[in-house]
Amino acid sequence: MTDALEWLQFVLAPQMINGLSIGVAVVLMALGLTIIFGLLDVINMAHGEFYAIGAYLAVALLSLGLSFWWALALTPVVMATLGYVTERGLIQRVFHSKDRHTLTLLLTFGMAIVLEDVLKIIFGANPMRIETPIAGGTELAGLFFPNYRLFVMVVGGLVIAAVWLMVFRTSLGAIVRAAAFDRHMSASLGVPVSKVYAATFAFGVALAGIAGVLLAPIYSVFPTMGRDFVLIAFSVVIIGGMGSIKGAVLAGLLLTQVQSISSLFISPVWNDPLLFGIMVLVLMWRPQGLFGKLGHA
Amino acid sequence: MLDTPNSSKAVRWLAIVFFAGALCFAAVALLLGDVFFLRLATEALIFGGLALSVDLLLGGVGLLPLGQALFFGLGAYVSALVLKEWHDSFWLALGVALLVSAAAGLVGGVIAIRAKGVYFALISFGLAQVVSKVVFNTRELGASDGIIGVPHASVVPGVNASDPGGFFLVTLALIFALYMGLRYLMDTPLGRQLSAIRTNEHRVAFLGFSTWRFKLLAFVGAACVAGLSGALYPMLRGFVSPELMFFQVSGNAVINVIVGGTGTLIGPLYGSALLTGLRSVVGSYTVHHQIVIGLLFMVVVIMFPRGLMGYLIPLLQNRMDARSARTKGDF
Amino acid sequence: MTMKLIPALIATAFSLSAYAQTGPIRIGVVTPLSGTYAGIGQQVKWGLDMAAKEINATGGVMGRQIELIYEDEEANPAVAVQKAEKLFQVSKVDFLTGTVNSGSTLAVGQVAERNDRLIATTVSFADSITADKCSPNVFRVNARAGMQSAALADWMAATKPNANVFYLGPDYEMGRSTVAAFKSAAEAKGAKTVGEVFAPLDNKDYSPFFGQMRSARPTVVYTSVAGNDTVRLFTQMAEFGLNRNVQVVGASGTVTSQNLQAIGKAADGFVTGVGYSPNIDSADNKKFVASFEAANKAQPDLYGADSYGVLFFYKAAVEKAKSTETDKVRVAMRGLQWATPQGMKVMRAGDHQAMQDMYAVRVNGGKFEIVGKVSANSAIGPDTCTKF
Repeated sequence: MTDALEWLQFVLAPQMINGLSIGVAVVLMALGLTIIFGLLDVINMAHGEFYAIGAYLAVALLSLGLSFWWALALTPVVMATLGYVTERGLIQRVFHSKDRHTLTLLLTFGMAIVLEDVLKIIFGANPMRIETPIAGGTELAGLFFPNYRLFVMVVGGLVIAAVWLMVFRTSLGAIVRAAAFDRHMSASLGVPVSKVYAATFAFGVALAGIAGVLLAPIYSVFPTMGRDFVLIAFSVVIIGGMGSIKGAVLAGLLLTQVQSISSLFISPVWNDPLLFGIMVLVLMWRPQGLFGKLGHA
Repeated sequence: MLDTPNSSKAVRWLAIVFFAGALCFAAVALLLGDVFFLRLATEALIFGGLALSVDLLLGGVGLLPLGQALFFGLGAYVSALVLKEWHDSFWLALGVALLVSAAAGLVGGVIAIRAKGVYFALISFGLAQVVSKVVFNTRELGASDGIIGVPHASVVPGVNASDPGGFFLVTLALIFALYMGLRYLMDTPLGRQLSAIRTNEHRVAFLGFSTWRFKLLAFVGAACVAGLSGALYPMLRGFVSPELMFFQVSGNAVINVIVGGTGTLIGPLYGSALLTGLRSVVGSYTVHHQIVIGLLFMVVVIMFPRGLMGYLIPLLQNRMDARSARTKGDF
Repeated sequence: MTMKLIPALIATAFSLSAYAQTGPIRIGVVTPLSGTYAGIGQQVKWGLDMAAKEINATGGVMGRQIELIYEDEEANPAVAVQKAEKLFQVSKVDFLTGTVNSGSTLAVGQVAERNDRLIATTVSFADSITADKCSPNVFRVNARAGMQSAALADWMAATKPNANVFYLGPDYEMGRSTVAAFKSAAEAKGAKTVGEVFAPLDNKDYSPFFGQMRSARPTVVYTSVAGNDTVRLFTQMAEFGLNRNVQVVGASGTVTSQNLQAIGKAADGFVTGVGYSPNIDSADNKKFVASFEAANKAQPDLYGADSYGVLFFYKAAVEKAKSTETDKVRVAMRGLQWATPQGMKVMRAGDHQAMQDMYAVRVNGGKFEIVGKVSANSAIGPDTCTKF
């Protein structure tokens, strides 16, 4: 009996808590993606690149002498601007065609190719790192947790809560949801729909940027880092339901727990196939994912 | 586009230009004793076959496949294994590759077809990721090094895959056959079904047709086209590696189709030829060829979404109609 | 289609001239200049450029200047093969080098056989290239995996006898075989294996494996990760306090000048077996390192040093053969001895593998200190190539 308890305390529990920190990172990425799809119907294949840009931005700001906290505060602002400009300048150009879904997917795919190479040109091919701003660890019930990871979990959780509050409890959020639900009606009611779209895209991009900054001290920074989250972020969004915030959060946390716990029993090389298998099963059972779209959730 | 009878004259003309042009190119290259450019052109044709398979799904049925390299690479590996371990016969390799691709297409199709639009694209992407990782790790398949030492396939006694000119013509003939086959297919009732599904799937279902079955058929067909094209690759280069299944190949095929002209079938062939040449040339001048191709692609998506052929065909057709109207005397 | 005709015409006109025997010696370089391995390709380019400059300044090879022609292989064998063929057929290169991953080296080796030319790799360390998959047209001037393991196992047996070793590697062929090679060398010298785990390639987060690592209580942790994966593994191990009281060792590609800066302090104490260190205490090496740093504002690593050496290898072979003809040069290369920054190397005739003294090297404060040495003969291992 004590063996089982020991196993629970010293093997399963730390695995789950570490899985939680990975989960918070995945949710942050999936949130931006699902918001962009939920409102704009845009599959942002360049989302990983915005995550990378956020991390590189932090590297650049730090090299200018600013502290990590300044980088954390400034990056979302810069990323939001970048997102806004991208949406107005590029995405809206293909927005009104009949093949909007395909064209925006292809356009953002092209953007991803270009952005990855641009990052390599500016910063070089070699990896970089940001010093962990909070060093050391905490001992809890005989287990060791790095302080910075606890910090990421807390901040990530706060950001997720803030997003939920903003979307569902503010009038700005109501406007966004209305525009998602029925574009034309909202427009005729005086909602500046194009601006709302651009702002929403900017918001999603800013979320990716925040994830980039938060995770840079743990996961390091290099030009192809945008590819890290693509499969898992899209899988989480699809399983949770495209456009559903609740879905992104629940699916993100659940799936990372499944991956963490399963790596105790099977080789982690099965992580991706497992994830993919779950995604296919969910789509077969409920093609729209577990929960509905943004405007409807 | 594919289905409007008015454009068929222009399309036929452009197809003639393509294949006749290829023959002229072969003649000149053979005269000059060239090897590299013939092989490069053969490679362009092989990837053109992959682009055809993407266009069948994208332009024909309206499904965007982001993992078609899976079937291409599968065909390549099967062909390499047959040639190396069994018998170095061109026809045997193609035959086995066809069977395996069809089977794989059936399995993949059953998984992927249920999904619509964007979900299909992501499942197709995911399938290719997962399978390519498995191949990457399988020692029996050469793991990350792939399989080298694939012997030269003999097509007919006297014509061997190592002969750059001969094999170019063989590949050209196969691609021509595939193109004509698909062209013919789109004119049959089956083809019209697929176009109808692309235009408005719900209505087709209401008319009493099982859309699922037709989409699956198209998926298997596309898998076969991709697999057959892939089977030619080890004959040309003498090796296969897991990179043939990676997303880069799928992505390049989609770019070839979009730039060439979705739904025109001849567009993807032109696109593949153009872009293979462009990638080779640009790659020799700058390390940042990805940016060049990426920007070109973005420009096409924003400003010329119908692709090169998508604009050329109506243009040409108008000119042809005007000329025939003039000669017939009705103004 | 037409745009292929014009270059074809020009190239053929070129080849018709008698330019070949008296003009510059053309050497093709097919190396990844973009993509994940761009950092390695950069070192290769730096090494080759410097060697070519030095050789040309002292009169070239047999009075002919060396001309390097670069093509980007994007770390993709399919592209490497296409570019190699272009270099052989259109640019008419006499010799080719630069391939990084073993898949590319093997595939380009085949192209070389078809074009009756020789290639040499300066980076690929898969044993198979000069073992079961050897080719009469492929030479290797850098140390292979078996040699690296020998040096490291030797050091470990001397400093940490009968150690408990925990293995962590990337889950793909290269990662697994590197771990397997070291494991057998280590166990033969008395080490014990207390755990083995393989993470996916490009794995972001290694914390799911730390529980296992901790409970195994190893004295030594061996890893074969490389590039970005190393940065993540080492910084995360430091994060969780796992690198205290444990000796971390690994493959020669695990910590190099490309990722050293990003890993920072977390790399201190890491030991590996390798064929080169910028800290080798010889006059030749000091001069090499100084010129390299002056020209490129970066330290040379094993890839840069071995790529620098390959041109001198080729030069010595051509001068011995008094010709650039493939068959004559091949004969000259077999058994050839030549000077490199890391000392004399000998090209073993039986399998085209260069023999050299191997070092155990420790990373400390950004430097690669030498902590052990194994002679060329003990490190090389048996000749298992049966194709020629």
